[in-house]
Amino acid sequence: MSKEIAEVQLQVRFVTKQEQYAVPDSPYAIQSNFQSTELNTLINALLKENNVSSQKSVEFDFLVCGELLCTSLSEHLQEKGASTEETLEIEYIERFPAPSPQDCLMHDDWVSAVQTNKNWILSGSYDNSIHIWSTKGQHKLAIPGHTSPVKAVAWVSFNEDQGVFVSGSHDQSAMLWVWNVKNNSVDCVVTCRSHEKGVECLAVSADTLRFATGSWDTNISLWSTSPSDEENVPAKKRSKPDHGNTRNPLVTLKGHREAVSAVQWLDFNTVISSGWDHLLKLWDCELGGIKQEIATNRALLDVDWSPLSNSIITASADRYIRLYDPRSTDSIVKTTFTSHTGWVQSVRWSKTRDTLFLSAGYDGQVKLWETRSPRTPLYDLSGHEDKVLCCDWSNPSLLVSGSCDNTLRIFKAKNAVGNA
Amino acid sequence: MPPFRKGLLKRKIYSEDPKDSRNEALSKNESLEDSEDLIRGDLDDVNDATDSEHEEDPNNAGSDNEIEKVMFGDDADSTLGDEADLEDSDQSSDLTDSEADTEENDSSDENEVSETTSDSEKSIDSGAESGPSQAQSSDEAEKKSANQKQQKLTTKSLKKKQLQTQKETKSSVDILADKIKNSSVSIQPVEQKDEYSSGDTSDEEDRRNTTGEVPRWWYDEYPHVGYDLDGRRIIKPPQRDQIDEFLKRCEDPDFWRTVKDPSTGQDVKLSKEDLELIHRLREGHVPNSSHDEYQPWIEWFSRSVLATPVRAFPDHKRSFLPSRSEQLQVAKIVHALKMGWTKTRKQLAEERKKKREKQFYNLWGSETEAVRGIQRHIPAPRRPLPAHAESYRPPPEYLLDAREMKEWNKLSETPWLRKYTFLPTQHHNLRSVAAYSRYTRERFLRCLDLYLAPRAIKMRLTISPSDLVPQLPSPRDLQPFPTREALQFRGHAGPVRALQPDPSGQYLVTGSDDGTLKVWEISTGRCLRTISLGGRVSRVLWSPAAGLSLVAAAVGPRLLLLNPGADIGAHRIAARTDELLEEPPPRRDQAEDERTASCVEWQKVAPEEWARGVRIAVKHFKDIVHVAWHGRGDYICVTLSDAASRSVVVHQVSRRRSQLPFRRNKGLVQAALFHPARPWLLVASQRAVRIYDLVRQELLRKLQPGAQWNSTLAAHPSGDHLLVGSYDSKCMWFDLELSARPYQTLRLHGRAVRAVAFHPRYPLFASGGDDRYIVVSHGMVYNDLLQNPLIVPLKQLPGGEPRDSLVTLDLCFHPTQPWLLAACADSTVRLYS
Repeated sequence: MSKEIAEVQLQVRFVTKQEQYAVPDSPYAIQSNFQSTELNTLINALLKENNVSSQKSVEFDFLVCGELLCTSLSEHLQEKGASTEETLEIEYIERFPAPSPQDCLMHDDWVSAVQTNKNWILSGSYDNSIHIWSTKGQHKLAIPGHTSPVKAVAWVSFNEDQGVFVSGSHDQSAMLWVWNVKNNSVDCVVTCRSHEKGVECLAVSADTLRFATGSWDTNISLWSTSPSDEENVPAKKRSKPDHGNTRNPLVTLKGHREAVSAVQWLDFNTVISSGWDHLLKLWDCELGGIKQEIATNRALLDVDWSPLSNSIITASADRYIRLYDPRSTDSIVKTTFTSHTGWVQSVRWSKTRDTLFLSAGYDGQVKLWETRSPRTPLYDLSGHEDKVLCCDWSNPSLLVSGSCDNTLRIFKAKNAVGNA
Repeated sequence: MPPFRKGLLKRKIYSEDPKDSRNEALSKNESLEDSEDLIRGDLDDVNDATDSEHEEDPNNAGSDNEIEKVMFGDDADSTLGDEADLEDSDQSSDLTDSEADTEENDSSDENEVSETTSDSEKSIDSGAESGPSQAQSSDEAEKKSANQKQQKLTTKSLKKKQLQTQKETKSSVDILADKIKNSSVSIQPVEQKDEYSSGDTSDEEDRRNTTGEVPRWWYDEYPHVGYDLDGRRIIKPPQRDQIDEFLKRCEDPDFWRTVKDPSTGQDVKLSKEDLELIHRLREGHVPNSSHDEYQPWIEWFSRSVLATPVRAFPDHKRSFLPSRSEQLQVAKIVHALKMGWTKTRKQLAEERKKKREKQFYNLWGSETEAVRGIQRHIPAPRRPLPAHAESYRPPPEYLLDAREMKEWNKLSETPWLRKYTFLPTQHHNLRSVAAYSRYTRERFLRCLDLYLAPRAIKMRLTISPSDLVPQLPSPRDLQPFPTREALQFRGHAGPVRALQPDPSGQYLVTGSDDGTLKVWEISTGRCLRTISLGGRVSRVLWSPAAGLSLVAAAVGPRLLLLNPGADIGAHRIAARTDELLEEPPPRRDQAEDERTASCVEWQKVAPEEWARGVRIAVKHFKDIVHVAWHGRGDYICVTLSDAASRSVVVHQVSRRRSQLPFRRNKGLVQAALFHPARPWLLVASQRAVRIYDLVRQELLRKLQPGAQWNSTLAAHPSGDHLLVGSYDSKCMWFDLELSARPYQTLRLHGRAVRAVAFHPRYPLFASGGDDRYIVVSHGMVYNDLLQNPLIVPLKQLPGGEPRDSLVTLDLCFHPTQPWLLAACADSTVRLYS
């Protein structure tokens, strides 16, 4: 059967959205058993033909029938049920280059939370401490302060000599820290206490004015990020010198029936949260009410929203990553990504590419996904020896993941040339 | 009997010679009768002969009774006469009538005479007395209406006879009879006379005995025999002895025709008509002489159609209308025939005929002959067709050459290994083929083979194995349920004995044989806290009370209530728990009985233990097997091992009080737990599960799981269903509303079942034990009482590694998610999702 297919000649046409790699719009006859490598050489040859100036061969990925080509063309077409008779349109895009392992940062305990910014990596650990690392892998600071495992960390703002970040911990509090880079000193400016159980997740809004925390007590609280805002703090609480300032939430969003596992900001007014009660909820922060609900059938462990593609990916207590569209009113899964063998604990969209995201699972794998390839991830970023608890791709060039093997692994993503 | 007759009888006693006495009597009486008799005597000459005949018989003399006897006993004639009288009293009366009619005048005279004689009793009726009618009188008494006429006649006939006897002394009965005939013939034509016209009714009245149909012997002792119409006694006539009788017989020529009337005791002389009647009867003629036996026959109903109908009435309606009742009857019979209840005569006859035929056993027939050839035919195995080698003249290549021949000879010991069963030989023609010497034998053996071969039709099994499986919904439709292992909680150094997630589902507490209690974060498998308790932890349980952060742990004989710590759960609650339990409540009621005190001791918690989190410690006198909280979290039920009647202890945490609910030992208690909804205590002993009502303090039900040794017990969150695991590898599902027997017995395990668990929200339950697999099943319970629970085994989840033949020690479902937690003997805890 496969032999028969192998003999088939296919009429194909190559298209691309990347202008610099455009090839003449003429159909080519190719063998149906071609794989992406053969297509790659073909495209490169074509490019060379057209444009002598192109210096290097570029790696491409090919989209056939809206899905990334991983097998031979014939198999792919057979799977899709597409005809081999008609002229096939193959879109090619520059392949995202394989991230290379850069560093492995050792911690004293499980790494439960991580976030990067341009130069610095913030990580939270189960030994109740927060660490600051440079992107080069230099340990800058270990910050004790929480009394229970730190479950979430996030940068609020960073300028040359001062960084502001928040951390949420199992000790039912979130802390707002100010880090003086020059002195390398950190100060807890505000302690946010209103949750009755451990803080599970936090997210800082895009305008960095507010942040949201989700907790095991099923509530989501919104807090102000200003390090010293008198308007929020009552006078008598300010007088407590030893504990810094405590702060009450701006808004408390109540509606989940079980633990809130993740929160993300959609825009300055909307927060999306995922819970163990199988629900994705979009909250209106001004009104404090639910805008939309998406019901799923598993306990959700993480959620992320991409402004580029305006879609939601969720990690749930099974092996699958699911992609939802927040605009659709019915809870229909658009795509299910299946490759992990354990629970997926964390998912993060790329900040620069609308089709790429990162996932970390309990199978010890961090995977880089392309949304048009639901079966096969682009890359497996292996290296962890135990459950991966968190991952981050805030810095587009750094893919970081923290794991139960007490390590934080950094992969460096080579910036794709063509993607401006 | 009329009185005048009695008088007659009396008188007759004195008479000596029959003829004389008769004469005398006649003379003495001088009655009109006599004279009339004399006048009539000419007409009647028959009686003489009879008279004479009687005279000859000497035996007839005697009393009336005796005469009677004698007559019945000896004299054939008289007996005959008697019978005739009996039978044909009417005819005789007819005869007498006719006679009486002939002599109208006489009868009237006679009546007068009778009247006169009735007045003067003794003087009358000589004739009656002298006749043999006396003997018949007893019979005649019964026919009273006939009597009087007869007697009239007898009197008349007596006189005639007397006259005749005077003329003739001897004549035969036959002659007499002939004469009677003649006379009767002569009498016959006279007819149509009213018998009462002469007014003889008074006469009739006279002689009637009114006693009725009573036995005569009733009057044996009395002088009378009855009463007449006026109520006067009818006096018995004087008894006559043998001599009197003889004398009378000698004297009275009419003695032979004298009979006695039993009703009156009087002698009655038979009349000529009577005699004639007797005679006719004896001859076998029609008693009535007037009847013409040979009158011409008129054929009224003949085939000839008459112009007018013979009968004056029309045909009846039923002669032309079908009968309804008949129709019903016929319908009944037809129905019975149809149903085979009855058979027609023809059928019966056929059956009878068949029965009578000889039955032979059909030696060559077979009962299933009809079907045999068609359905059960097994063809004999085919023999291969003869090939070239078997030809009488095979081609030369089939003949054995020297080498083949050598091989042939070599295999002489094992001929079945040869290429052929025969030696191909070449003949020039068929004629020269010798007869095969073993032909008959081989043919016979072949037949024998076919006959003895165990040939049978191979029955193809039409049932596919899938048909035997009950119709259950596909597990795919019953999601969600745990399907694979998601997390392993590693950290214990010994088999994990018990585990339970906290009510919110965030933490898990486990107890192990390594003497530690660990608290884990479920979502990551992180061990948050390890508390060393200094002994094997056999059970751990979170308190269901929402406002308390308490874990009950059973460590050997001690039950410890721990606060797992500030960093676990809400701080506020943990602090409040500590605050609550710091000071024991004032013990107001010290009335704890000795029995309880002997087995339970509320200990003071040492400071180092307090630092570890222990808040309350209760020491029992035996090791703890099972612990169960009450739903509110105040009471805790502890099962002790080998403690007989004290094996179940209920503690009240708030008041630090214990009580022993049972006084009697009801078997080895394996587990005891509170009913989730009602104030009941469920106690699983070795063989039975008992349900006690704690409010009324009585045994409600006793469930019989039917297992050899129950191991564990779990109650459905609704409270209406129970799951019992047993060491003989069974799980029994009880529907408490259904029966005391298991609704379903699940044999899902190959070895002992040690743990069963229900999911608090999802319709799931799981069982695990000493075999490698934990079985998750769907157990849907419906609110509709008519619908039975739906139980579908869903998934076999691989358990831990076996250690000392133990695999799974405890099972628990996550309180909110469809996840299963299993405590394994290989010191891991596994989460299945």
